[in-house]
Amino acid sequence: MNATLNINRIWLLLQRYFIENKQRELSFWGIAIVVFMLAHQTEAVTIYLFISGLIFAGNTFKSFNYTPSGMHYLLIPATHTEKLITNILLSTFYYFAMFVITYTIGTFLGINIRNLLWGDSIPVEFDLFNTYWHNSGNISFWNMFYSFAVLQSIFMLGSVYFKRNAVFKTILSYFVLIFVLFVIQLFILKVGYGSFHIDNHDINLQFMSFNDYFPGFETAFKVLGYLSLPFFWLVTYFRLTEKEV
Amino acid sequence: MVNVQEVTFSYSKKARLISNMSLELEAGHIHGLLGKNGEGKSTLLKLISGLVFPHVGNIDTFGFKPQKRHPEMLQDIYFLPEELPQLTLSIQNFENVYAAFYPKFNSEQFNNYLKEFDITDKSQMLNKLSHGQKKKVFVAFGLATNTKLLLMDEPTNGLDIPSKGQFRRMVASAIDDTRCLLISTHQVHDLDSLIDSIIIMDKHEIVFNQDINNITNKLLFRVADRNTTDDTVLYSEDTLRGLFQVCKNPNGEDSKLDIELLFNAVLSNKNEIVKLF
Repeated sequence: MNATLNINRIWLLLQRYFIENKQRELSFWGIAIVVFMLAHQTEAVTIYLFISGLIFAGNTFKSFNYTPSGMHYLLIPATHTEKLITNILLSTFYYFAMFVITYTIGTFLGINIRNLLWGDSIPVEFDLFNTYWHNSGNISFWNMFYSFAVLQSIFMLGSVYFKRNAVFKTILSYFVLIFVLFVIQLFILKVGYGSFHIDNHDINLQFMSFNDYFPGFETAFKVLGYLSLPFFWLVTYFRLTEKEV
Repeated sequence: MVNVQEVTFSYSKKARLISNMSLELEAGHIHGLLGKNGEGKSTLLKLISGLVFPHVGNIDTFGFKPQKRHPEMLQDIYFLPEELPQLTLSIQNFENVYAAFYPKFNSEQFNNYLKEFDITDKSQMLNKLSHGQKKKVFVAFGLATNTKLLLMDEPTNGLDIPSKGQFRRMVASAIDDTRCLLISTHQVHDLDSLIDSIIIMDKHEIVFNQDINNITNKLLFRVADRNTTDDTVLYSEDTLRGLFQVCKNPNGEDSKLDIELLFNAVLSNKNEIVKLF
């Protein structure tokens, strides 16, 4: 028996999820189609993706909210790695894929129904993909997915870390972390330049402004951004292995 | 099968819940785990299955460290908790989903156990069942997994009177030389004629661990007149029917074990009783 990774057990865990959550999944994605029929502007859709996604990820390990359910989950004969991979597949890849599918269906139906009811002839366009796929700017579809995946990984960690109100506590922790980083930034500026002002200009509190003064900072920041995804997955794994109920 | 060696555990730094405990469980036995509330009985079951980790000492469950929660170990443990998980599944889907994780699961056995508990409709949703009905499904499933180790925490809580008898019969028929069952309970009468070994916890330690034959060889359980007293009496309870006594049994007389009486006797006269074994 493979002690770490067994595809059959991952398959069983996925099956378990879908059988246990069949009704909820059908309702959630049904509602999503209706939402996208009514609102398919890129900004609204993106906000919906990120907010609903973080709530989904924040409930990944919700079984730990209730001790008997947590016990039941931990005693399922599968490794921590398999349980984590299953949850990554669900909260990141499955969720994103379902989001794209329901967005496509919702937008298609929404525009066609509108054309039918009001006699309009609005062409069916998927703005979300237009903006992100075809622009040669910095934001690509891949970037959006990666940002989404990082956010999901943070909230998945929060869901295994906090016993109750995981989403709220993760958001709070996130802002505390940002504040601490902000203070560190000020401290570095104070130590490095003896002032909170640089060249008589007010400091720009965006991290990227550091690149002007510390060459390579932007690259390092990007690398850290890419590494953050496996980092949060790894921390979630260790948290899961040491989980006691 | 399970070897607990000098284990200490606590949920907080102030109070130890399990203190320097050692215990060995062998296949082919049904152990009754008794103790007052808060003595650490449920925690012991959790330690053996890897749900909590010992602070000091070692536990070996079929050669695995339970805290690793190795799937090969988990495939051979079924833990029935006192409170059951909330699952929005039909009984049929519960079987479909979870049986696959237990290689020795036997669907025919599961159906037979359910039938014995008078549960015939597997399309019923678990979350719509009463606590007792739900417990029957979990008991039936646990027995049908054919795992080497069954841990049951208050398994008869919530079961009606006929179901308690059915539970005893089912468990007795399901346990063979390859399986071991550890039952933690306060309902000592539900264990009558079922268990073959008694483990008693007091002050977060195991103070008594003997098999039934040994107990009835060394101790005599009797009902005596109020005037009867002799130096063999170790413990006595005054009831309407007379004095219920636990006595020394130097002549090896036969008597029927009274688990509740034994438990009270051990707690009130621990040193004297332990000395006899």
